[in-house]
Amino acid sequence: MNSRQPYRHARGCRATVLVSLMVISATVSDRLRADTQTTGTCGGVSVTTPFTDVANTNLFFCSIAAAYFSGLTNGTSATTFSPSQDVPREQMAAFVTRTLDQSLRRGSRRAALRQWWTPTLPPIFSVSGNPQLLEADGQDIWVASEGEDSVARVNASSGLTVQVWTGATNAYGVVVARGKVWVTGVFNPGLLWRLNPRADAPTVPAELEAGDLGGIPQGITFDGSSIWTANLGGSVSVRSSPGSNGALTTTVTNGFVAPLGILFDGSNIWVTDQGDDRLKKLNADASVAVSIPMGSDPGHAVFDGMNIWVPNQFSNSVIVVRAKDSQGNPLASPFVLTTLTGNGLNDPRTAAFDGQRILVTNNSGNSVSLWKATDFTPLGFVQTGANTKPLGACSDGINFFVTCHAGITQRF
Amino acid sequence: MRNITIIRLKRIFMLIAVLIAMTAASARLRAETGICGGAMVTIPFTDVSSGNIFFCSIAEAFFSGLTNGTSLTSYSPSTDVTREQMAAFITRTMDQSVKRASKRAALNQFWTNQGSSNLALTFVGTGPRLLQSDGEDLWVANDSSNTVSQVHASNGKLVGNWTGATNAFGVLVARGKVFITGRTNPGNLYQIDPTQAAGPVTTVTSSLGAFPLQIAYDGQRIWTANQGPQGSISIVTLNPPDLTVTTVTTGFSSPSGIIYDGTNIWVTDAGDSMLKKLDSTGNIISSVSVGAVPLYPAFDGTNIWVPNHNSNTVSVVRATGGLAGTGLATLSGNGLNGPQQVAFDGERILVTNNDGNSASLWRASDLTPIGNFSTGMESFGAFGACSDGLNFWITLFSTGKLARF
Repeated sequence: MNSRQPYRHARGCRATVLVSLMVISATVSDRLRADTQTTGTCGGVSVTTPFTDVANTNLFFCSIAAAYFSGLTNGTSATTFSPSQDVPREQMAAFVTRTLDQSLRRGSRRAALRQWWTPTLPPIFSVSGNPQLLEADGQDIWVASEGEDSVARVNASSGLTVQVWTGATNAYGVVVARGKVWVTGVFNPGLLWRLNPRADAPTVPAELEAGDLGGIPQGITFDGSSIWTANLGGSVSVRSSPGSNGALTTTVTNGFVAPLGILFDGSNIWVTDQGDDRLKKLNADASVAVSIPMGSDPGHAVFDGMNIWVPNQFSNSVIVVRAKDSQGNPLASPFVLTTLTGNGLNDPRTAAFDGQRILVTNNSGNSVSLWKATDFTPLGFVQTGANTKPLGACSDGINFFVTCHAGITQRF
Repeated sequence: MRNITIIRLKRIFMLIAVLIAMTAASARLRAETGICGGAMVTIPFTDVSSGNIFFCSIAEAFFSGLTNGTSLTSYSPSTDVTREQMAAFITRTMDQSVKRASKRAALNQFWTNQGSSNLALTFVGTGPRLLQSDGEDLWVANDSSNTVSQVHASNGKLVGNWTGATNAFGVLVARGKVFITGRTNPGNLYQIDPTQAAGPVTTVTSSLGAFPLQIAYDGQRIWTANQGPQGSISIVTLNPPDLTVTTVTTGFSSPSGIIYDGTNIWVTDAGDSMLKKLDSTGNIISSVSVGAVPLYPAFDGTNIWVPNHNSNTVSVVRATGGLAGTGLATLSGNGLNGPQQVAFDGERILVTNNDGNSASLWRASDLTPIGNFSTGMESFGAFGACSDGLNFWITLFSTGKLARF
């Protein structure tokens, strides 16, 4: 068995080469060390930095070594760090953004799973019907299929459809909350379907939670106690205590024309209204607190912890709106940070966020566009295939999942 | 005059009394109280008033351990930050961010397993080599039983064994499938559809270069490092039903490891002890000298960690940015003994010691050692390693087990 282990017996035959290599590298590193390096002790071991102006007795020697090793700084030259120089605000901006980016990159599950790629040929798997929006519960993906009146539960890691909930008429938007899965039915009056994820039959009937939502609900979200839906017919519905005996639907029409998308940012509900092309921040009673002009037909937006990304279907743009202040509190006057165009945007419908990246589906473009969420730089766009018409998108923290025309879901 | 003097003296005494009282009060309180997030917040820094617009940021930085101030009772809010202080601020910030965002924090797993008796073990197959997590299950290549094991991570249960993977060695989870190298000459590439129940693997191609070991993906194409006799790398373009295999031998001696850093493919060449950066056609752009017989490396978002099997060292090489290709450090000690594969979990680097029957751990951000931990007394014990974002997983070659670390 040992002979089958690569490199276990490689030592002898390569010893000569090895010794000469080691001699060369020792000579080089000795020369470098003498001229241009500082060696100190961190975490009980010897650590060498290239900075000759940071003595190993410096209180911050180990912090400087760590910042250098992890790529937060390269110093002020190849051999200097200039430890006593003040940090001007412009350097500060570089330090903190590198720190944020590095923290996210390293902390992402994609790092642990060695998934550093962006797929150009994403894997596809089939669900029945015409999938619309979708949501992850951490393990499975819940995909609403309008044509089939069904919701598929797809295992995120294998792509296998585990179970199907049937009878969910005109299933469209999905939210996972209160231990259940909640799905809008685009009907007038609007429907709210409830799925029990503990059911173990391969086919499970969906339960009707409410049949009295405003007309044509698409977007759906949760604020910690109530389900909210954006109803294209011209209203927002709030279902308080959903799933309980005291459940109650309140529908508000005042201030809305044709709401499509809806999200919760931790403090407020936000609605994209395709009737007057606005992003609306709501009060707790569903009245409109702030209304911000968007592009033409704003779609399903996403919140990244600080900003809201709104895809504008007919403007081929994504507008980024600052929603929170630097402490994470709601901003009294939210404002537009930038309008993104290009990067393959073509009939953009839904935005999704995975912690680092924003993905937007391009329904006519048959593609998805990606941006780095922290600095709005484009990461390019990826074709999803002819006539795939990508619509919905979500992330499970590892991959993005995108619904496409004709029963196909893609994993990025 | 005398009266006036007395009055002045009285005033001075009163002032001193007030001052003493104030000093006593502040010594007792040693604190400043303000309002953050609608609630009363108290910090020990007497030089940061509640009216300071940065009061709540300073309170947060103190509470979350990013700063302890310039003394027990001062923060020196208006003092300029030097670059050396800045290094401390940003490294603490990154370490805290990664530590708090890790699934280990949410699941109360702040421990490091101490020794082999604390490992959860699953029998997989004979001679398990490399392995990969798909986020939920582990996929383990069993070289000697020609099988691939699927193990459920949360309970360690063997889900199934795929058969017919002759000399299964490297594992890749990509494109919704699991790909396996078969260490034969010419080399094999096998595929598993994880939506199906365990059965025979599908052979994708039997025309890889000789004896492929590790396998990587760049988002479009599959790459394998082929040990040789004639060492090479193979690039597989899969666009079913079309398939092309390009094998490049120029510049390669005996490649073992291959990884993708988001921009480039990197190959460890055990034949000439170099780490080689490739362009998209497989040509070598640059080479970095590492230790003797480099094997299966890992990328941590900034650096590549290369285990040097025969020099018992780990080379840390900057992969990105202005210092790309620079050797940052050569780590030795910490129990390194025949290091085989490196894995990264977001915070920590784990290296399997094939001769030492152990795993060595480092903090990835500052390269400081965490320690060396036994994986059991069997000879040639620890071989492959990966992380699923929560635990590390190690293949124990001679006993045919998968260990959760």
